[in-house]
Parts: sequence; structure tokens; C-alpha cells
Amino acid sequence: MTLRTRLLAGVACLAAGSAALSAQAATPDNTLVMAWNIDAISTFDPAQIGEVVTSELVSNICDSLVEFAQDEESRVVPAFAKSWDVSDDKLTLTFHLTEGATFPSGNPVTAADTVWSLKRVLSLGFGNAAALTEYGFSTENMDELILAPDDKTVVLKFDKVYPTNLLLQAIGAYRVAATLDSKTIMANEKDGDFGNAYLNARTECVGPYRLVQWNQGEGIVLQANEGYYGEAPAIPRILIRHVAETGTQRLLVEQGDVDIARDLTPDDLTELAATDGISIKSALKPQLIFQTMNVLRPPFDNPKVREAMKYLVDYQGLGDTVMQYLGKPWNSFAQSGAWGALEGAEGQPFSLDLEKAKALLTEAGYPDGFESTLLIGSLPWSSPLGQHLQQNAAKIGVKLNIEQMANAQLFARARARDFDSIIMAWQTSIPDAHGNASRLVMNPDNSDEAKLTQYPSWRAGYQDLALNEKVLAAATETDDEKRRAIYRDMQVEWMKTGEMAVMFQSYNVAAVRDTVKNWTWNGFRTYYSEASK
Amino acid sequence: MTDAATLVGATPRRRRRGRRKGALSPKVAAVLARAGSVLVTLLGLAGLTFMIGRLLPLDPVLAVLGDNATPEAYRAMTIQLGLDKPLIVQFGNYLLDLARLDFGNSLLSGRPVVDEIARVFPATLELATVAMVIGTGIGVPLGVVAAVYRNSWIDHTARILSLIGYSAPNFWLGLMGLVLFYATLGWVGGPGRLDFIYEFDLTPVTGFFLLDALMSGNLEVFGNVFSHIILPASILALSSLAYISRMTRSFMIEQLEQEYVVTARAKGLGLWRIVWLHVFRNVAVQVITVVALSYAFLLEGAVLTETVFAWPGFGRYMTNALLSADMNSVVGCTLLIGVIFVALNLICDILYRILDPRTR
Repeated sequence: MTLRTRLLAGVACLAAGSAALSAQAATPDNTLVMAWNIDAISTFDPAQIGEVVTSELVSNICDSLVEFAQDEESRVVPAFAKSWDVSDDKLTLTFHLTEGATFPSGNPVTAADTVWSLKRVLSLGFGNAAALTEYGFSTENMDELILAPDDKTVVLKFDKVYPTNLLLQAIGAYRVAATLDSKTIMANEKDGDFGNAYLNARTECVGPYRLVQWNQGEGIVLQANEGYYGEAPAIPRILIRHVAETGTQRLLVEQGDVDIARDLTPDDLTELAATDGISIKSALKPQLIFQTMNVLRPPFDNPKVREAMKYLVDYQGLGDTVMQYLGKPWNSFAQSGAWGALEGAEGQPFSLDLEKAKALLTEAGYPDGFESTLLIGSLPWSSPLGQHLQQNAAKIGVKLNIEQMANAQLFARARARDFDSIIMAWQTSIPDAHGNASRLVMNPDNSDEAKLTQYPSWRAGYQDLALNEKVLAAATETDDEKRRAIYRDMQVEWMKTGEMAVMFQSYNVAAVRDTVKNWTWNGFRTYYSEASK
Repeated sequence: MTDAATLVGATPRRRRRGRRKGALSPKVAAVLARAGSVLVTLLGLAGLTFMIGRLLPLDPVLAVLGDNATPEAYRAMTIQLGLDKPLIVQFGNYLLDLARLDFGNSLLSGRPVVDEIARVFPATLELATVAMVIGTGIGVPLGVVAAVYRNSWIDHTARILSLIGYSAPNFWLGLMGLVLFYATLGWVGGPGRLDFIYEFDLTPVTGFFLLDALMSGNLEVFGNVFSHIILPASILALSSLAYISRMTRSFMIEQLEQEYVVTARAKGLGLWRIVWLHVFRNVAVQVITVVALSYAFLLEGAVLTETVFAWPGFGRYMTNALLSADMNSVVGCTLLIGVIFVALNLICDILYRILDPRTR
């Protein structure tokens, strides 16, 4: 046998050995397996979480008092609270809790736990506390305004009259209203942190699933909660494997090694849509993608310039190509589908119109254009949108210098008001126009010292006192028709003069194998317990 | 003058005697010198990492709290992380913690950095070791054979392999490898360390899944783990293989031209006996250096390979920590890389002494 023959024989043996050892495995029937980029997870504490991934997971682990209807997200239905009442003066909201529920620890769930959980959010003061402080709650008044008269009743008292549906959406259905196991958590409290460190990698609440395991950058295991008061999930185990590379996710779902792939490119999705045994599922998210312009710096201090930028985007062209599956063209601050949002073409009045943009620039005193810096992050749509804007801007004499950076750096620049313009995204937590009106339109104090960094309007230095008044008026208007009218006026005016050029509303999109039945989601929640195999 | 001359003449003798009495043995002195150099290296690395952490335009507070944090929560977290203190105090605290081997908690997961690294490092160590076995096992013989049959088809094949190994990006090779061997031929397992179906059949003890599977006695799981590791390890091995084979070839060619080889041939010794017993022995020290360097680079983290193969390893962990401004984790990872390089250098030195009597 020659050396060449020996080598070839060796390679053949190795290949055959590997083939024999490889097992082509389908996913088990009792487990829903997902490939998902879960790098962003940093905690499971409902008082602190803000990332999209953790929000979805926690909504399947921790029931809030109420939840959004699956088929109509702006409608609220009972969850852990089986019903609720509003007092005649509309200043008191009373929740009647489900009886007989227990935490995974075996401790009974009481109204005192719910009240403790709400107060805990205020005491910790993370970003999510704004869901309570915005409606008059604070650490000073919480003992008088958040009460548990008995084990089954939670009472919230308000300083003003707010639309009941808004309160149910903003507080009742939000993660701040998740009932936590106060006894277990306080037994693990450290340095007065209300168990914040303990909940970094654990959950202690009541919901269809419980967190069994989380290894950062590796995976997550959820297991059906045996003592759950509601209907048991059809699939008892959810396994999420961290897969950062989209091409790898595609291969896994094609091979049937995962049931669902969550982060795929438009190209992958287009090809998978034509693949037997795989369906593409999508749902509009309450997330807007926009160019925000710094109103404190010229030329964006001029509303005409800001308006001109809104005519530099080929919304439909992008929507059919690079943004296909990623987002729907949209211009209003109120996301499509939200209560009070404009509908159809009214919410997307802008189109690519270079002549109009040029005319607006001339009117603003920039007939020869200007030079400016555009910051972009590292999300899939960041570069395509930035380059598109840059190319169209160049056609009317505007030179946009693109600076790309990590998202953490981008956020820091935005919060420091250190930018000319940025392409980024913002997501609201409530299906009501107030959600974004209160952050993108309203700016209570535009001074540098105020440091209202959680307000994108403040970051851009945008403040319109008349619009501020309208936001407050709409938030306390209990007549639905009048309230809708206020939002309509606000949206029309803001789209013309606001600090942002909203371009798209994002989709939640996934490739789902046909072995998975009843994959149910809307913009605010994914219902793992509804899925079956 | 005489006194002075006597003194002058006496001083060196006294000094020599003094040195002899208090002097350390050469071995101890060498060990101490090595320990000192390791310490200085690690200290320098720690200082550099600290400075990089403070100079990077990333905000660790936002990494913890998220984009939507209130100013109050931001201030509280700044104090909790000790970032409100003067830089020099922060550096002092940082060095004290390092001396206690306390890298703090990961800002992202809230768990001790040491535990996190202990969780992810075995995955990379296992992958890099299998890659190194492949790279060395094929690279060294290939280099030797290529040198012996210079300009033959074997030499040309080795060159082409090296060219591919050097020039093709691992990221691309990984995806192509997955498409061909996993998705099309079904010869190997897919991304990840084992199939989901076996996820709960293996209890990690050492963190090295091949070893854990063997220890559990479940050969089916062992086969599955092997089918998952073989492709990423082979792709990762390709660049090491190229480097090792080219360097080995070059070392061997230099030796093969020496007169002792001609003499040995003239005495009638067999070609392969000369090659392996005499020539290769003379280049072994250089080959070890090359192998050790390749291994260190593989351990440092094959980020792209780990990303494509969804391999929950050290490289991906460190990259994510860096992008998320999780500086505690970055410091822990950087120091570990430093320790790896120092340890491998040390092992090389020991091997030199064993293989080359002149270095003893």
C-alpha cells in the first residue's frame, strides 16, 4: 500500500467514523426548543428588567394582575387578579386576587405579597419605577396609596382621575405588578437590596413556568410550574439555546434541531418562507425605529430642517427590501395598533421627496445643505438605514458623516446629549398612545441639570410646552372621544415639528417549524403556554 | 598605599566569600527570577486592563441599569460600583481585590466572575485541546514528510493546506463546514456542545463534556459530544496545522542539510530512522515553542468559531463582556489569558531542559 493510498484510506475512515457517531435528533415532544440571541439578559428581577428578551421570559414566569388580550392587545383581561372595580370618583382601583395560589416555594400568595412587590419597585427606583411614579406613587406616599385590606384584595389610590384602561395597561399588566414571594426573597436580602442580587438569576413568583437554569451566553431552561393556579402549559419544558449567529440559527431550524429561530435576517426569512415544514410568524412590536435630532444644536434647532429629514427616506422601498420582516413603515409617535394611534396612511404620511426636502432646507436658510454627524449602533437595521439616509441626504447637499459604535456607547452619547443625530429605537410598554406621548413628546424640564435621561425628548433637547399640556390633558381625560381627538392633533403636529423622524415600527419575527402548533404572540407578549406539539 | 592595596585586594575576596555564604542556589535563584518576572507581567497586565476599562467610552452603569434608568438609580449604582471614588482609590481597591483573587461579580449576570470563567473556560479548553491534538498530530508529520519529500506532491499538498489554513477565515469555513458536513451530509452534529435531546442526560462534573460523558459511562452521549466537537475543532485546527507544518518543514529542511545526516546515510541507517531519531530530535525544541504558541492563541478564545458553532466558551464570553462594558469580567478574562501565556512559557522551559541537555 502506497503512502497516498494509506492517507486516502485514513481520511475515509475518519469520515465514516464521524458519520456513525452523529445523531440526527429531532426535538423532544415535551420540550419547545428555541435558538435565540440572549446575550442581553442581565437579571430576572421584574423591578429592573428592560431588555426585550427578559421581558418576554418574565411575562411567562411572573403573572401580572391583568394582561393584554391575545387577539387585541389594547384590551385588558384578568390574569392573577380575577376581577377589578373602580370607585365612583374614579380615584380608587381595587383588584380581587385569585384564591388558593401558591408560589413554587409552597408559600401561599397573598395580597400582602402583591403590595410588597409594588412598593419594592418604588424603593429600588430602577427605570421600571416610572410606571408607578408617573401616576403619583412615590416612596413617601406608597404606604397610604398601595394597600392590602385583606389577603385577597389590593387597592391602589390615585391623586388624579386617569382613564381606567390606561391604568390597567400601564400598571396592572406591566411587570411591576408581578406578585413576588416576599418571604423567600427577604430571607435572601443583602445590604437592603430587597433581594435584587438574589433575583439576578432566579425567579420567585407565580406564573405558568419557572426558571430552572440560566447560564449567560449559553442557555435557559424553563419548566412548567406544577402548583400553577391556571391551566397547565401544553409543553412542560422550554429550552432556549443562545445562538448569536443568524446563519447558524437558520441551519438549526432547517435541520429540525430547534423548533423556533428568533433572530434571522430578511434573506434567511425569505428563503425559509419557501421551505416545507417551516412557517414565518410575525407580530408588530410597540418599538419604533427613528432618527432623533439634537434640537439644541444647529441645524436641527430649526423645525424646517427636521421636517426636511423626514422626506429623505424611501419608506416603502426599504420596507420591501432590507426592512422586509424587520419593520413596517410608520411615522407617528403612537405605534400602530395602540389606543389613540392614527390608522393606515394617516400614521405614515411621509415619503421620499427630495425636491420637497430641498425646498424646506432652503426655507430654513440652508440652500447649500450642511454637514453633520449621524451616530448608528450595531443592530441589523443600523447600517442599511444609516447608509440610505446618507445617500439621499447627499443628493440635496447634506453631508452626513456616519459613526458606528456599540449600542452601550450609543446610549451613553444619547443620554449625555452628545450627538447631532442618532438612528436608534425605543419601545413602550403600553398599548396606548400615552406610552410614547409621555416620553417622546412630553419633556417636563429641558434644562441640563434636570438630567431626565429616561425621556428621549429631553435627550434631544426637545420641549414644546403646548404639547406638554396636551399630553397631560389626554392622560387625565376620561371621555374616550375627546381623548382620541387630543392624540390625533398631537400626532399630526409632532410628525411635522417633532425631534424625531420615525421610520419604522419593528416586527417580532420567527421561523417556526410546523411541528409547533398554536404559536401565539402579539406586540406585548409571547404566550409559551399556548404552544403545543 | 600598602594598606589601601591590601584593602583593595581584599575586598573582592570578602565579597566573593559573602556571596557564597548568603547566595541562593542557581536553581532557587532561577525560580525566584521567574516568579518575579511572572508577578511583574501580571501586575502590568492588571494595571493596563484597569486603565483600558476606564478609558473605554462604555458606561458600566448603563450596562447594569439599561437605557431607561432614572438619574437617581444611576447615581445609586455608580456609588454601589465604587465608580464615584477617585481613580487612584479605585485602582488601590482593584489591586487589593485582585490580591484576594476576587474579581468581583459580573455586571451582567451578578455572579462571581471566577464562577463564570470556571463555567465557560472548560468548553474552550476542551475545544482547543482537541484542535491542538489534530493540529499537532497532522501538522508535525506533514511538516516532516514535506521536508523529506521537498517539492513533491506531498509538499505541494501541504503548502495548499497551509495556504487555506492561513487565508480562509474561520468564520466562513465554519459556516461552510456546517452547511456541508452537518446540514447536507449529516456526518457531524450541529452547533452547540451536544444535541438538545441529550441535554439532560449529561451532568457536567469537570466541564469537559468528552470526559464527563466517559465518566458517566454513556457511550451514546460520548458519541454525540464527539460528533459536535469534531467539526469546530478541525476548523480551528486548520490554522494551527498550517503554522505548525510550515514551521516544522522549515526547521527540518535546515537540519536535513547538515553533514551528520549525510554521514548517517553513508553508514547505512534507514531514512525514517534518521529523520525521526536524529533530525526531528534536534528540531523538537523549536517545534514545541511553535505548538505552545498555537495552543495559547487557541485558548485565548476562538471567538468567531465559538460564535458560528454556538459554543459557550471563553472567547464569546469575553467578547460579550467587553461589548457590554462588564469590566469585572474583562479584567478576569485578561488576567487569565496572561496566566495562560506565562504558564505555557514555563512548561516550554521545562520541556527544553528535558529535551536539550545544553539548557540544563
